[in-house]
Amino acid sequence: MHEMSIAMSIVDIACKEAQKDGAKSISVIELDVGKLAGVMVDSLMFCYESVCKGTPAENSKLLVNEVTGMGECLKCHFEFEIDSFMALCPQCESYEVKIKQGRELKLKAVTVNE
Amino acid sequence: MCDSCGCGLPGETVTFRKHGEEHQHHGAGATHTHADGTTHTHTHDHDHNHGHDRTLAIEQDILGENSLLAQRNRGYFEAKNVFTINLVSSPGSGKTTLLEKTLTDINDIACAVIEGDQQTMNDADRVAATGVPVLQINTGNGCHLDAEMIHTAYTELKLKNDSLLFIENVGNLVCPALFDLGENKRVVVISVTEGDDKPIKYPSMFDTADICVINKIDLLPYVQFDVAKCKEYALQVNHHLEFFELSATTGEGLEAWYSWLHASIKK
Repeated sequence: MHEMSIAMSIVDIACKEAQKDGAKSISVIELDVGKLAGVMVDSLMFCYESVCKGTPAENSKLLVNEVTGMGECLKCHFEFEIDSFMALCPQCESYEVKIKQGRELKLKAVTVNE
Repeated sequence: MCDSCGCGLPGETVTFRKHGEEHQHHGAGATHTHADGTTHTHTHDHDHNHGHDRTLAIEQDILGENSLLAQRNRGYFEAKNVFTINLVSSPGSGKTTLLEKTLTDINDIACAVIEGDQQTMNDADRVAATGVPVLQINTGNGCHLDAEMIHTAYTELKLKNDSLLFIENVGNLVCPALFDLGENKRVVVISVTEGDDKPIKYPSMFDTADICVINKIDLLPYVQFDVAKCKEYALQVNHHLEFFELSATTGEGLEAWYSWLHASIKK
């Protein structure tokens, strides 16, 4: 549900950056989205298209790099890939896991032209 | 799904109203005020070969603007020693009843309330009946409160020093998880009339919360809710969570909740 406001933030940041650069239009916006960021990529794509209308980003492409989740067990310090907040350490079976990676929600780059 | 959500869409009418006040629109509430750019760093890794496609490296947190505003709120609360609680839950868990009861029973600390709902003044009216200053934010179609709305709301409320501020977020166990408001503690409320597996069905909210209130425990004899199992699930998602089991209706378990609130404000 919050994907609409996230899409709006993305387009807003990108348009400001493009304007600062003196560019007229945006062709690609690239994001890093962590698996645990709480964002549905399909839903974000859908919102993105409608948010772009009437902005320099109209008809631009949204590239999403999915960032895998990484956790560290606080009991045995084993590091492993996680895909949910309910992460169980495969080595010692503890749920005390610190999320080290996977919450990213970042605008990486914007490709602009004239 | 998003066309029905449209949170923060331009022209979307976010309204801020005090109890008994007529309907009014705040343009600035819906249109987020963005910083002038000097506060964040950008790397412009590009040549100025205009006329061709060029890629600008941005490396910016998409929710950075909200986080920045939330930190501003946090600084304000800290300076005034206002202990701020962000109450989140599904609709119907009993947040407003818990608030009404808390505000009635706590007489020795100044309190204020910011209510968040899509529509109506109902919750603000209920809180106002306790005599505590309250401001209602109606988000229109928006599914969560954000840091800018909170800023506008507390500016109107004129918070007292050494006080408690309760923010009752929009009833929604998904979206509010992502938006820091500048609160000291995020309190997720779950009632025993819900499923005891809610913490693993909606893990984001439980992951970002500090406190979990299990409400309506007076109804435990009539429902299949397993408190131990619910806590176990919640701890699997967030092993830092602290729990309060209570009934806002009968008052059972409220003493521990009040002691915690008192201890928090004195810190």
